[in-house]
Amino acid sequence: MLDLSAIESGYGETQVLHGLSLTARPGRVLAILGRNGAGKSTTLKTIMGLLPTKAGRITLDDRPLPARPFDIARLGIAYVPETRDIFPSLSVRENLELAARRFPCANGGWTMARVLELFPRLGERLDNGGTQLSGGEQQMLAIARALLMNPRLLILDEPTEGLAPIIVKLIHDKLKELKSAGLSMILVEQNFGFATSLADDVVVIGKGRVVWSGSAPEIRAAEDIQHAWLGV
Amino acid sequence: MFRHTPLRYGTLALLAALALFKAVTADYFGLEILTEILILAILVIALDMVAGFGGMVSLCHGALMGVGAFAYALLTVKAGLTPPLALAAAIGITGGAAWIIGAICARSHGIYFIMATLAFGQMAYSYVFQTPTFGGDDGLGGIARLDLTAFGIDLNDSRTFALFCLAALAASYCAIVGILRSGLGRSLTGIMHNEQRMRALGLTVWRVKADVFGLSGMIAGLAGALAAQHMMFISPGLLSWKVSGEALVVVILGGLGTLVGPIVGAAAFVLLKHEVSALTSYWHLVVGVILIAVVMSRANGIFGWIETRWTARKATRRTGPADAPLKEARTDA
Repeated sequence: MLDLSAIESGYGETQVLHGLSLTARPGRVLAILGRNGAGKSTTLKTIMGLLPTKAGRITLDDRPLPARPFDIARLGIAYVPETRDIFPSLSVRENLELAARRFPCANGGWTMARVLELFPRLGERLDNGGTQLSGGEQQMLAIARALLMNPRLLILDEPTEGLAPIIVKLIHDKLKELKSAGLSMILVEQNFGFATSLADDVVVIGKGRVVWSGSAPEIRAAEDIQHAWLGV
Repeated sequence: MFRHTPLRYGTLALLAALALFKAVTADYFGLEILTEILILAILVIALDMVAGFGGMVSLCHGALMGVGAFAYALLTVKAGLTPPLALAAAIGITGGAAWIIGAICARSHGIYFIMATLAFGQMAYSYVFQTPTFGGDDGLGGIARLDLTAFGIDLNDSRTFALFCLAALAASYCAIVGILRSGLGRSLTGIMHNEQRMRALGLTVWRVKADVFGLSGMIAGLAGALAAQHMMFISPGLLSWKVSGEALVVVILGGLGTLVGPIVGAAAFVLLKHEVSALTSYWHLVVGVILIAVVMSRANGIFGWIETRWTARKATRRTGPADAPLKEARTDA
């Protein structure tokens, strides 16, 4: 589905990714793990065209991925950033309506009613402003907004960061539902247990390149890798 | 996202009542001032739509108003078009010009956007100033007003023309509110908050900016066509950057991003100009001092200050004054 091959990218003069390669396969969840500063979020931003690719190649179904974020979004890749980026002066409803459009590559039949069924809490707060939401509600809104783009591939950056354990469990259950429905996902996550219980495939990033790749059961068993690269 | 509040409704009702009262009771000079306020208000709410809700601080809205004025004047005086057709064409031409400017400037931000729009404005000014067809430095005269006598309305009467401008302002305000509440307006708000996020949501950002800038230009064009009919004469000075600068001052003075505030600002600015200029020719100095005071007060203009006070008062009423328990304790003692 999505292939990254020998990617070099970073912020201005600072190079973060040094020849990173990975593959996200259809209908599966790929977890990208690594310590702080390893290049996990940079990888996602590079996929989304938010950071320029200095070298290497990104392909979606063997076709080169366009460089501009809106062209990438139109190919059915939705991104939930770490910062959630809820529009503060818009209500929950308006935030959702902003993303509710159908691109030619759309997939999944997500409607406003269906995302509210997935996240009933949002339905109770439709007329609340973006700033009046708790961290958990903001995360639900960010995921719901991405789903309304009817993506083929959902990319999530640290979806549990700063959330209470009960909300982490709720987000976990919802993502599990999405996985069961066959949605392909790439997940960047610091929470090892959360990531490996959701993921089918795992890559570990260190110093801007992939240092380990395998399945979720394999990483759970690979204590040396966990210790060396994840600090678990 | 624009939302009406009871204070905003109340202010609009008060302004409309005052304008109607003045339109009915004022003498000729008073009607001229009222018309000037109303036309300026149309221009500044058009500017507020792009600057206050889209972060596109334009220094070419004066020029866009001038394009509307010259388009109307040329089409009626030189091309012999009927005023209603010329009015529609002037609005369309200005909207088209604004869309092109918006599309070109959409990729720039902040000071670069301001400078790019200023450059477009100055280009328009220089072209009109140096082109004999537009009357050059002498401008164009003999501009006819719309003929609505078939409906029993004579716009050559100052009072009727002022009421017509009030209706045009009301229509422009409703159009802008409609735009801001539409999907296009939501996208514009999203772009102002986080342009990159909107791109990642699959939005063609430059197109949204260009469309809104074009719509704003249409309203500025209406203001220009009304200004041409008001004075029945226009000069290239209407396209000067000073007009754009004054419009921006009025928006900031009234309250950026409030839509109601710029109307308050237009009234305050024109009244100040006329009242102070009767006393001293240094009226700009007085307006400058007031503008500095407004900016330094950190309130969002006159209306922003009123809104802040209103909200604080409402909060105090709900929760009671902060020192109320202390006072009660002292009384008990």
